[in-house]
Amino acid sequence: MADFKSATAGSLTLTRPCVKCRAQEATLDSRSQAVCRDCFTKFISAKCIKQIGILGKETRPPPSTTNGPPTGTRRYLLGLSFGVSSTVLLHLLNDNVEFQLARGRSAPFELTVIHIDDTPDNQTDHDHPSPSSTAAASEIILAQYRARYPRFTFHSVPLSSALANDPLEPSSSSSSSSSSSLPPPPRLKEAAATTPTAAITMSNTMSTTTTAASRSDLERQLTRRALLAQARARRCQALLLGHSTTALAETALAEAAKGRGFAVPWLVGDGAAPSTSPPLEGGEEGAGGGGVNNEDAGAGVVLVYHPLRDALRKELVTYAGLVDPPLTDLIDGGVQDSKNGGSPRAAAGAAVVSHKDLSIEEVMRRYFAEVEENYPSVVANVARTTGKLVRAGEGAVDGERCGLCGMPLDKDGDERWRGELGIQERTGTGPGFGNRLCYGCERSTAG
Amino acid sequence: MAPVLCANCKTERALIKRPKNHAKLCKACFITVFEDEVHHTITSSQLFYPGEKVAIGASGGKDSTVLASVLKTLNERHGYGLELVLLSIDEGIKGYRDDSLETVKRNAVQYDMPLTVVGYDELYGWTMDQVVETIGKKGNCTYCGVFRRQALDRGAKMLGIKHVVTGHNADDVAETVLMNLLRGDLARLSRSTSIVTGDDQSEVKRSKPLKYSYEKEIVLYAHHKKLDYFSTECIYSPEAFRGSARGLIKQLERVRPTAILDIVRSGEDMARLVPGDSPSSCACKGQNTASSAPVEDDIGGCGSSSGRTPGNEMAAMDKQLRENEAHEELEIDVAKAMSERKLNGSEKQRDLPIRNGNSASKGVARQVRGNCKRCGYMSSQDICQACMLLEGLNKNRAQIQI
Ligand SMILES: [Zn+2]
Ligand SMILES: [Zn+2]
Ligand SMILES: [Zn+2]
Ligand SMILES: [Zn+2]
Repeated sequence: MADFKSATAGSLTLTRPCVKCRAQEATLDSRSQAVCRDCFTKFISAKCIKQIGILGKETRPPPSTTNGPPTGTRRYLLGLSFGVSSTVLLHLLNDNVEFQLARGRSAPFELTVIHIDDTPDNQTDHDHPSPSSTAAASEIILAQYRARYPRFTFHSVPLSSALANDPLEPSSSSSSSSSSSLPPPPRLKEAAATTPTAAITMSNTMSTTTTAASRSDLERQLTRRALLAQARARRCQALLLGHSTTALAETALAEAAKGRGFAVPWLVGDGAAPSTSPPLEGGEEGAGGGGVNNEDAGAGVVLVYHPLRDALRKELVTYAGLVDPPLTDLIDGGVQDSKNGGSPRAAAGAAVVSHKDLSIEEVMRRYFAEVEENYPSVVANVARTTGKLVRAGEGAVDGERCGLCGMPLDKDGDERWRGELGIQERTGTGPGFGNRLCYGCERSTAG
Repeated sequence: MAPVLCANCKTERALIKRPKNHAKLCKACFITVFEDEVHHTITSSQLFYPGEKVAIGASGGKDSTVLASVLKTLNERHGYGLELVLLSIDEGIKGYRDDSLETVKRNAVQYDMPLTVVGYDELYGWTMDQVVETIGKKGNCTYCGVFRRQALDRGAKMLGIKHVVTGHNADDVAETVLMNLLRGDLARLSRSTSIVTGDDQSEVKRSKPLKYSYEKEIVLYAHHKKLDYFSTECIYSPEAFRGSARGLIKQLERVRPTAILDIVRSGEDMARLVPGDSPSSCACKGQNTASSAPVEDDIGGCGSSSGRTPGNEMAAMDKQLRENEAHEELEIDVAKAMSERKLNGSEKQRDLPIRNGNSASKGVARQVRGNCKRCGYMSSQDICQACMLLEGLNKNRAQIQI
């Protein structure tokens, strides 16, 4: 923000002046307008700040624990995938804090950054090659983020924490600073033994026999659940996700394609996450360890916000390259692949991949890369309208929410549904908890 | 390798991998299972009552031929007590219907069902050929679509029949769901998923017994039952949003065969979440009968085609949305955007509305229903679409005659 004032001289000699400031050479096309680099970055920044402002009003500082006047600052949690969008969001949040501090104000919020490590836990799966190298890889990337944004705290948390009794328990790949007075972490196998859903979920998530579509879906649901669990356990008021307009449109259609239409308004809109933490399976057995902490943490309402909801993915990709030094050095450890940083064209035209290896999300990503290229406003409109759908099941309590993804169960939908798959429908699901899973999770756990 | 046995009877050799769930079945079991599932849809949605007279919208194509065959089978097997008749529409496009109408005539004999063919000229005073002569090639699909949407109902009314069933399948419904999501058209989304359209008050009820049947299974069924059908493709290309949704569904189906059914499920659920619609649990009070929607759905075929070249519709909407953004109408919703577009009359459109203009009622699913003041057909506007189009056409004809 500081360096552009010096560059405004000589506007008379511009060959293509920026339509916004008229002072600098336009080097970019933004929504059919020729703009300069500074105006473009300001444009993206403003879109984010606007949403952060809306969130700020929703999250007045919490009252102090001693019933005094509000004292603390806002506490947010950012989900960091190492991809473009969440990295840009992190950068913009950091900018925002620095801007306030530079003006002598206090930091507008405290931010904890969580990376959910979805590499298979070495405790769970002997079929996978040693994952310790990949877990270490994510630590190395995380160290680069820490170095660049020392103001914030960063943790890597395993995906399996989504199903743990205490999401704060330190684990192999975590650098969590949580209290060491807690009992030693149960390894996943033990946790799985006491929680049938956990067992089946994890085995399905990691198994090589399930389809890429199911694996990807379950990973996605569990990642979200793990992030929400972290937000609750760390007493954060909001979970911030980096979804661009494009990502939200993709989410809406991908979730619809996975039979999760009922959950779309929860996933695409901003607002409170379903009331408390998702119910843990087998309360009678699970009561043994770490339950107190969890119950405590579930008390607060966690908002889920998407501050980049008004920026297209391609704009975020551009932005990441404009920042100095470019965020592209950081994203995915500096490795540019078509999935995260490459041009949409490259992604769409990528080498032929077997359909068996594609996920629904990947199909949507490719599809929307093309729509975004030609009809960006259509993409924005999908995100906007699907976000307007009513959130049903708002007051759902334990037992009325899916045992896996935590979304409210759709009883009416289940009753009205006439499109049964016929024989072989539930060969993959075990007995006893089919009624506790939502339609989408049933689909994905079936194979 | 030992032959794989049928997952159902476990005795016959499995010859068919079901497109729907990849279950391996023998031929006989596939046919039975397919029929059983349609039977399940019919009974659980309470589509018919004993003694009901039902017209099957028959085009000679695979969907309606399979529908006629399955309904005949189920009617006899389960004693529905239905009086089934075939109803075909002749758009009056020279050569286009000749073969398919011949097929329907054979079907009538094969299934021992009476057949009535109703022409656009009888219904509207215009054949499609005459429409094209008058207004040119561009935009005629609008007429075809609007006229066709009403034709079955009007035809049924002529026969004194109050229930028309159509061959729309799960692929059609899924396509419409995705299309309406892409268009951001929540009002239409909420209407497009109902298995029944129209209700007790409407003169003609429409339903889709094959709503949960996969297109590929319909083809398989027709093949294994050796049904006599005519493969017609709609001669007009689908509008951009539908075409785009269709391509997307094909890809999704390849990645996960159940995706089509899952989209239908999502569509049904999201329909209940449309703002202004009755919110899910409280309003329906355990009422499990099929919910109904106004009859003006635009599912499948070229029924919703605007007659423009593919891509233009998306481009036009994109442009409109961008203009709205530019005017800082940050709160625009699509219904408004769409209706504005209609009012403005985008390029190549005559000053006739493309679609039913009920999108003016923002996001409200079940709008107030009335009847067309001219023809009495159910319409959310004073004058129904067909009558609007006819007015334009008749003016044109008058001018030519002068
Ligand atoms: Zn500028
Ligand atoms: Zn679920
Ligand atoms: Zn068999
Ligand atoms: Zn009329």
